[in-house]
Amino acid sequence: MNLKVNGDDTEAPEGTNVLALLTLKEVKMPEMVSVELNGEILDREAFESTALKENDAVEFLYFMGGGKSA
Amino acid sequence: MSDKDLHIETRLILGGYAPDPQTGATTLPIYQSSAFAYETAEELEDVFAGRSGGFLYTRINNPTLHQFEQRLTGLESGIGAVSCASGMAAITTTILTLAGAGDHIISSATIFGGTYALFQDTLTRLNIQTTFVNPSDPAAFEAAIADNTRAIFIETMGNPKLNVPDIQAIADVAKKHGIVLVVDNTLTPLIVQPKEFGADIVIHSTSKYINGHGNAIGGIVIDCGTFDWSSDRYPHIKEHHERVRHFAFLSYLRSKVFRDTGACFSPFNAFLMSIGLESLGVRMDRQCTSAVTLATFLENHTETDSVVYAGLSSHSDHTIATEQFGGRYGALLAVRLGTKERAIALINNLKHAQILANLGDAKTLVTHPATTFCREFSEEDRLAMGAPDDLVRVSVGLEYPDDIVADFEQSLTAL
Repeated sequence: MNLKVNGDDTEAPEGTNVLALLTLKEVKMPEMVSVELNGEILDREAFESTALKENDAVEFLYFMGGGKSA
Repeated sequence: MSDKDLHIETRLILGGYAPDPQTGATTLPIYQSSAFAYETAEELEDVFAGRSGGFLYTRINNPTLHQFEQRLTGLESGIGAVSCASGMAAITTTILTLAGAGDHIISSATIFGGTYALFQDTLTRLNIQTTFVNPSDPAAFEAAIADNTRAIFIETMGNPKLNVPDIQAIADVAKKHGIVLVVDNTLTPLIVQPKEFGADIVIHSTSKYINGHGNAIGGIVIDCGTFDWSSDRYPHIKEHHERVRHFAFLSYLRSKVFRDTGACFSPFNAFLMSIGLESLGVRMDRQCTSAVTLATFLENHTETDSVVYAGLSSHSDHTIATEQFGGRYGALLAVRLGTKERAIALINNLKHAQILANLGDAKTLVTHPATTFCREFSEEDRLAMGAPDDLVRVSVGLEYPDDIVADFEQSLTAL
């Protein structure tokens, strides 16, 4: 299925959950990423139980950085 | 049963730290490291640029602090938090995130003296003006709003006035005008979640009940996730909204004001406070119950003039306190003795309660606000803040309740 991950088209197996997507995208330190699914913040405890669907928009958000670019 | 179905008290114990997969350690480790290394320069650059997650430098973030922030986020059902060096650092960082030179904030007039001084003196020198209003009059907040108003600040309970503002009514005013409502919940953790009544940002001095043992200083800023940070009232935060959406406030706070001013939290203090968090529920229950016992005793004693405690039906805010706090009224109370001399004598006659300017300790603490944390204000201001000369503030501790009462009884008898 096709997903939009941080605005980019991404192919993922059917039934991929959010936790698996973090692995698929090789997200480092996944405990520090916040995930927005179709515009809504996803509770961290729901990462594994939330199966993604075709055309879902997923944003990986980091706000821990220290640079001027925020 | 999922973790979300558990009570907050249970989650504060179970949800803090899973056993370390390599060592089996069950307690939050203290990552006493100034900075954190990466394999390549590019990886470090990605973290600095916010393209990847990771820890950089303990002034900005740290694994121990991150765990502590996660637990405090849960305490207030927020979306994220930033821990700070103290409660005052948390307030300063929050206000400087929302407001700059030429801006304006509105504050309850009955706030803690230290916060009052920050707003009245230091922020004024930075050309951030504060209008202080009666917190029992939501219309006064609305009347004070100007085009450059950037925050409304209240405490769940005034200090030392111990009045209880109607958070929902003030939140309605803030929402109507698109202004952030900041609520200091230091005196009532677990007793009330200000988010339920419309707060956008919640602050704690974690040095008090969250720590619970008077052995470390800290503060926290929690974003409840309720404010639309794409608002044009905060154009600097709106820029961050384009990249990190709901986390724009926390992003601006951490990566600008917090980073630039440097009032960071200590990992060791986060460790101590994580232990404190695990017993917060039972401590609040016990201290609130003992406070009712002591307040009732003092109110009925012939040597006292009056007692200020929202749990007493004689308190002017008893009804709103009951609605907001659900039957617990905090563990801070005040007693008036008629004259300053009698107030000082009551303090000096106590055998066990400690004389110091703090609250939320396991020990019962007494303070004379007019000569300590309110001393720099005029008599008129002190009266408005609830600190007349004859008032003694009591932070009720965890001692056996009969022993607390007995200490006050012998002190009153000796007057």
